[in-house]
Amino acid sequence: MSDTFSYLLMAWLDPQLLALTALGTLAGIYVGAIPGLSVTMAVSILISFTFSWDINNALALMVGIYVGGVYGGSRTAILLNIPGSPAALTTAFDGYPLAQRGEAGRAIGLSTVMSVIGGFVGVAILAATAPMLSDLALRFAPRDYFLIAVLGLLLVSTLSGKSLARGIFAVALGGVIGLVGMDPVTAQGRFTMGSMNLLGGIHYVVVMIGLFGVAEAFYQLHHLNTIPVKQKVDKIVPSFNMVTKYLPLSLRTSVIGVIVGALPGTGGDIASLFAYDHAKRTVKNPSRPFGEGAYEGLVAPETANNAAVGGAYVPMLTLGMPGDAVTAVIIGALVIHGLNPGPMLMVETPHIFWFTVGNLALANIFLLVFGLTGIKLFSKIVELPKAVLIPLILVLCVVGTYSINSNMTEVYWMLGFGILGYFLKVFGFQMGPIILGVILGPLLDETYRQAMSSVGDNLGEFLLALVANPLSLVLTSVITLVLLGNTPAKRLLMERLSRR
Amino acid sequence: MLKPTLSSLAIAITSLSVAGSALADYPTRNIQGTIQWGAGGATDNVIRSLTPHVEEELGTTIVLTNRAGGTGVIGMNHVMNQRPDGYNLLFGAENPQLYPLMGLADFTYDDMHTVNIIGQGLVVIATHPDSPFEDFGELLEYAKENPGELRMGGTGAGGLPSTVLAMINAVDELDIRDVTFGGDGPGVTALLGEHIDFMPLSLSAVAEQIRGGRLKGLAVLSDQELEDLPGVPPITEALPDIDAFLPWGPFWGVFVHQDTPDDVKAVLEDAYYNAVASDEFQQFLDDFGGAPLNLSGDEAQEYLDNWQSVTAWSMYDAEAETIEVSPEELGIPRP
Repeated sequence: MSDTFSYLLMAWLDPQLLALTALGTLAGIYVGAIPGLSVTMAVSILISFTFSWDINNALALMVGIYVGGVYGGSRTAILLNIPGSPAALTTAFDGYPLAQRGEAGRAIGLSTVMSVIGGFVGVAILAATAPMLSDLALRFAPRDYFLIAVLGLLLVSTLSGKSLARGIFAVALGGVIGLVGMDPVTAQGRFTMGSMNLLGGIHYVVVMIGLFGVAEAFYQLHHLNTIPVKQKVDKIVPSFNMVTKYLPLSLRTSVIGVIVGALPGTGGDIASLFAYDHAKRTVKNPSRPFGEGAYEGLVAPETANNAAVGGAYVPMLTLGMPGDAVTAVIIGALVIHGLNPGPMLMVETPHIFWFTVGNLALANIFLLVFGLTGIKLFSKIVELPKAVLIPLILVLCVVGTYSINSNMTEVYWMLGFGILGYFLKVFGFQMGPIILGVILGPLLDETYRQAMSSVGDNLGEFLLALVANPLSLVLTSVITLVLLGNTPAKRLLMERLSRR
Repeated sequence: MLKPTLSSLAIAITSLSVAGSALADYPTRNIQGTIQWGAGGATDNVIRSLTPHVEEELGTTIVLTNRAGGTGVIGMNHVMNQRPDGYNLLFGAENPQLYPLMGLADFTYDDMHTVNIIGQGLVVIATHPDSPFEDFGELLEYAKENPGELRMGGTGAGGLPSTVLAMINAVDELDIRDVTFGGDGPGVTALLGEHIDFMPLSLSAVAEQIRGGRLKGLAVLSDQELEDLPGVPPITEALPDIDAFLPWGPFWGVFVHQDTPDDVKAVLEDAYYNAVASDEFQQFLDDFGGAPLNLSGDEAQEYLDNWQSVTAWSMYDAEAETIEVSPEELGIPRP
C-alpha cells in the first residue's frame, strides 16, 4: 500500500519529472491546436529523442503531451472554427458561435475547466476499475463495433442543422471518401483510379482540414468588410456556480468518454460525437439553442475527449493492447525501453501503472494552469483583420496537412476538399456529417465484414447474433429506440398513454 | 557463426578501400528515413530502436517519418522517387517482395539496393486459453471434420496470417473462416475476447500474452521448440512436410536507391552492420521475439530471393485468391 502511494506521488515529488510533465503539457496544447500536428506524431518523434533517457522521464513527457494535445484541439475550434484534431470537431459547433459573440475567452476558460474535470474522471475510473473495464471492452465483438458504428450514423440528425436530407447526403459522401484506398480484406485498390498515391486512402484529417480550414477561409471572404466582434476578456474563469450547474452533464459525458476511449476500436473522436449528441438529447433548456453558442455544447465534447485519455490507458496498462493510436505508440516506447507491455505489466512492474495514474492527474493540474493563462492574448486572434487572418489560416492548413504523412498529394486533396466544402457551405450543407461519414465509413465496412465472416457469411445467423448476445441486444435495442423515437410511433404512443 | 564473420571482414575491407574519399564527404547532413508502416507497429519499433546506434556510427541525425499505407507501397514509391544520393533510406518489412504477385505495384526490393536485412520475426499460431485445442494437430483434425467452421484472425491478403495459411494449405488442408483485422493489435484483442478461434501472429505481438497466460501457443512456425516459448511444439510435429518452407518469417530491412554511389552504399552497409551487431540492439531483438540476421550484399540478395520464391509458390500452390499472376510469369523460380 505504501508502495502504491509512493509510485502515485513519484511524479509530484521529483522536480525533474514535475518539470517534464509541465513541459509536455504546455507543448501538447500547441501541438494539439495546430490542425495536422497530432499527438501521435509528437509522441513517436519523442521515442527516438528519449531513447537514452530513464523510462519514467520519457513517460512523464509523453503523458503531458497526450493530455495537453487532446485539450489543445479545442483552441482553434473555438477561435477559428477549425478543429485542431477530429476529437474537437463538435467543440467548434458551439465554441465558434461563442467566439463570434465576443465570448472567446469565456469559451476557452470553460473548455479548460471542463477538460480538466473530464480528465480527472478518466483518471479516477482508470485507477479504480481498470481490470474490470478492460474485461468489458474485450467483450465487444466485431458485430458490437458494427452496432456502435450504426448508432454513430444516427448522429446525423444531431449534426445536420436545418436540413436532414442534406445531412444524409453529406454522411454518404463522407462514407464514400472513407472507402477510398486499399480494400482491407482483398488488398485491391478501391476508387483509386489506378493512382498509387491513393492506395493508402484519404486521411480523414486531410478531409477535415480542407472542409473546415480552407472552406472556412474562403467563406469568410463573404464577410471581408465586417468588423470583428470586440472580445470580452473579463470573467474568463467560469464561476463556481457555472461549474456546479454543468457538473451533472459533465460527469455523464465523462463516463461516455471513458468507456468509448477504453474500447480498442474507438477513441476520443467518436466519444466526443456521442457526448455532444447526448447533451443535445438530454438538455431540455440549454443556455442558448445548440449550434448558436450553447455552453452545454462545449461542455459535452470537451469532458468526453479528455476523459477518453484515461479510458485509452485501460487496455494498454492491463493487457498491453492499445486503446487508441497514441497508446499504441507509447506501448512501442515501453518495448524499446525494455519493458514488457502485456498482461504481466501490472504484476511485474506495478509502478508503471500507478506512476501513470499519478502522472495523468498531475498533467491535468498543469492543464488547468496553462489552459487558463494567455487566454486574453489568444482571444485577440479573433479580432485580427481578415486580410491577415485568412492567409494565416491557409498557410496553417497547408503546413498541417503536409506534416501528416509528408505527402504533397494529400495537400492537393486538402485544397480540393476546401473548394468542395466552400460550395457545399454556400448551398447550406453542414461539414460535420461529412467528417462523420469519413470516420464511420471504414469502421462500418471493416466491422460488418468481420461480423459476417465470423458467421460464415450467413445473413440469418448474423441477424440472430445481433439479438442473441446480451451486449449486442443492448446496442440493438438502443438503436431501435432511437429510430422509433424519431417516428410518429412515439407520438401516437405518448398520446395513448396520456389519454388513459 | 562463420558467415557473419566473413561478411564483416568483407565489409571492413570494402570500407577501408573507400575510406579516404567516402568517409570524408558522406554523410554531411541529416538523412531522411522513411518507415513504410505506421507508428507503434513492429517495423516502427525495430527501426526506432536501431536508429540511435546507427546515428552514433554515422555521426549524423536520421529523421524518421512514417509513410504508411497500401501495404507499404506508398513509402517505398516515395523513396524510389528521391535523389539517389544516400540521404533517403527506406525501412521496410517483407511485403514488397509480393507486390507484383498481388498486382499492387511493379517493383520489389530487387529495384532498390539492400543495405541490411536486420532480422526476422518468429511466428506463433495462438489461441485463447479456453480453446479445446492443445496443439496445432488437434486443431487441424477438428477443421477437417468441420470444414469452414473455425474462425481465423487475418490481416488481409498478403498479410502474415494469409501467407501462413497458404503454406499450410500447400502441404495439407485447412478450411476456415478468415476474419480480417487492421493488424496484429486488433487481431490479438479479438483473440483475447474469444471472438476468433486462432491466429498466426508474430512472436513479438503475442509473447507477453502467452507468458501472462491470456493466450496459448498451439505451434511455432519452426522445426524446433523455441527457447523463449517452452512447451509450444514446432509446427513440423503436426505437419512434417511444411519443413520445406522453413525457416520463414516476416523480416525488417534497410534499403537505398539503386543508383546510389558505391562508396555511399559501403558507408551505410558498414554503419548498419555495426549498429545491428551492437550488444544493446541484439538484446532488444531477443526481447522483441526476433532472430538477428544482419545480412548485406549477396547474402542479403540470396535471402530476399529465397523468401520471395518460398512465399510466392506456397501461395500459388494453395490457390490463394489474391494472386494476380503466376510466380512463373514473374520469373520467380520454384524453391
